[in-house]
Amino acid sequence: MSDTSPGTTAVWQALAAIPDPEFGVSIVDLGLIYSVERLADDVNVVMTLTTTTCPSGSWIYEGVRTALGKLPGVKNVRVDLVFDPPWNAEMLSTNARQQLGWDGASAQ
Amino acid sequence: MGLGLAWLAFAAGMIAAAPSMLALPHIAPVIIALTHAWVLGVFVTVAVGAMYQLAPVVLGTTLWSERAGWWHYVQHLIGVPGMIYGFWHWDLKMIGLFGSLVGTGIAMFAVNVWRTVIRSGKRDAVAWSIALAAGWLTLTVLAGLLLVANRYWLFWPTDLLALLRAHAHLGLVGFFLTLLQGVTFQLVPMFMLGTVPDWRPVRAGLWLSQFGLLGLVPALAWHAGYLAAACTTLIIAGMIISAWALKQTLRTRKKRQLDPGVKGFLRGLGGLVGAAVVGLLLVWPTTPWSSAPGGFSAMVYIVILFVAGLLPVITGMMCKIVPFLTWMRAYGPKVGHTPTPPAGALANPRLERWALAIQGASAAPLLVGVWRLNTPLLCAGAWMLAAGVVLFLFDMFGILKHLWWPTSGAPVTLEKRSPS
Repeated sequence: MSDTSPGTTAVWQALAAIPDPEFGVSIVDLGLIYSVERLADDVNVVMTLTTTTCPSGSWIYEGVRTALGKLPGVKNVRVDLVFDPPWNAEMLSTNARQQLGWDGASAQ
Repeated sequence: MGLGLAWLAFAAGMIAAAPSMLALPHIAPVIIALTHAWVLGVFVTVAVGAMYQLAPVVLGTTLWSERAGWWHYVQHLIGVPGMIYGFWHWDLKMIGLFGSLVGTGIAMFAVNVWRTVIRSGKRDAVAWSIALAAGWLTLTVLAGLLLVANRYWLFWPTDLLALLRAHAHLGLVGFFLTLLQGVTFQLVPMFMLGTVPDWRPVRAGLWLSQFGLLGLVPALAWHAGYLAAACTTLIIAGMIISAWALKQTLRTRKKRQLDPGVKGFLRGLGGLVGAAVVGLLLVWPTTPWSSAPGGFSAMVYIVILFVAGLLPVITGMMCKIVPFLTWMRAYGPKVGHTPTPPAGALANPRLERWALAIQGASAAPLLVGVWRLNTPLLCAGAWMLAAGVVLFLFDMFGILKHLWWPTSGAPVTLEKRSPS
């Protein structure tokens, strides 16, 4: 994940409050957010899903748009859903690995 | 899913109310009624309902016709109870009438599934298994209707028992096994955050079973013992290859702990392999093709297949699918607006563990009971099964209630996870 502009703390916090419905892990910890960019009133997010056929994908996508649209000072939200690069286990945070039972170990 | 749960309560209730019926031969009308209550009422209803919901998702498209799906539901809703009533009272006209209703519903389902697969453009093992399973299910119902017609008009003087076995295996292997050998490799990675490392054994397992089934059905219908044994061996080989592929898939999972539902599902797959081995022994040329109750008979095979195989497979997967589908409807639109609980938090894992464990444990007394024709053991098994089903229904209603009374405010947390 990358943070390419200042003032994105609130954006990351809003995204971190959205859990994946199957695993109960925040979509940020799951590594689904590839980048966040904030330019004045605009927020641009690039995200992915764990699989192209994720059944809850549309809800997560809409949830991201909704959550960011509610942030103070945000007028335009753009969320790009990409599958290149595809999601992989290396993208899991330490917190996510612990929640999934990896006990802080490597995901591989 | 709701209709499947109602049938589960009814089918388990039928056995609990009269456990001694399990000491009857498997071609007794009440046993045929009971078998259809379990297979068409519970297993097919749940599997078909799940296919309508999940097949478009795994195929990456939309269902060809939702309206056709609802028409199928209505026909299934009316047709299956009529058929079972007909079997119970051995009214062939009634079986034929309501069976035709079920048959046209299944045909609509098959067309819907095929059009959805064609629209998706996918031709992998999962897509093939979905399309093939729908086709085999249609053939099963047609074969069943042909059986009833032949019983009524006697246009083909042949052994009813042999035709019954061929019809049963068209459905058991053709629909359930075919579906499991494909869709498992989409659902398990999805629920366990894993990947299928190699699709070749998945395809090999699926096609071996298909070739085995193509030979098994005529072999059963015409009493060709050696051919039936050879084809059953082919099917078992296909199951073992699929099991190996599943083991490799599970090794890639990122979610370490196996939920009670996944454990139950895996136990059920093991039970299906066990049932197939028993089936092989029963079709062995030196084994008498008898319908007499007691001893190592078809009833032993049916108990293993249903109680140790299909039941844990279906209920185990329901423990995963029902919370997920409920979450999609009750909480999906709320994501980003309010805190939402994870799907797993809608279920009660302790209740699930007990429900699946008691259901599984009931297989032992039922098995010994039908083997030894022991009524006290049959009663104990039937009541254990009913108790397991009641706990399972409590868990399911606890999940489904979120459709009407969703949790609001702070998110419900998942049961604390520990590495295993």
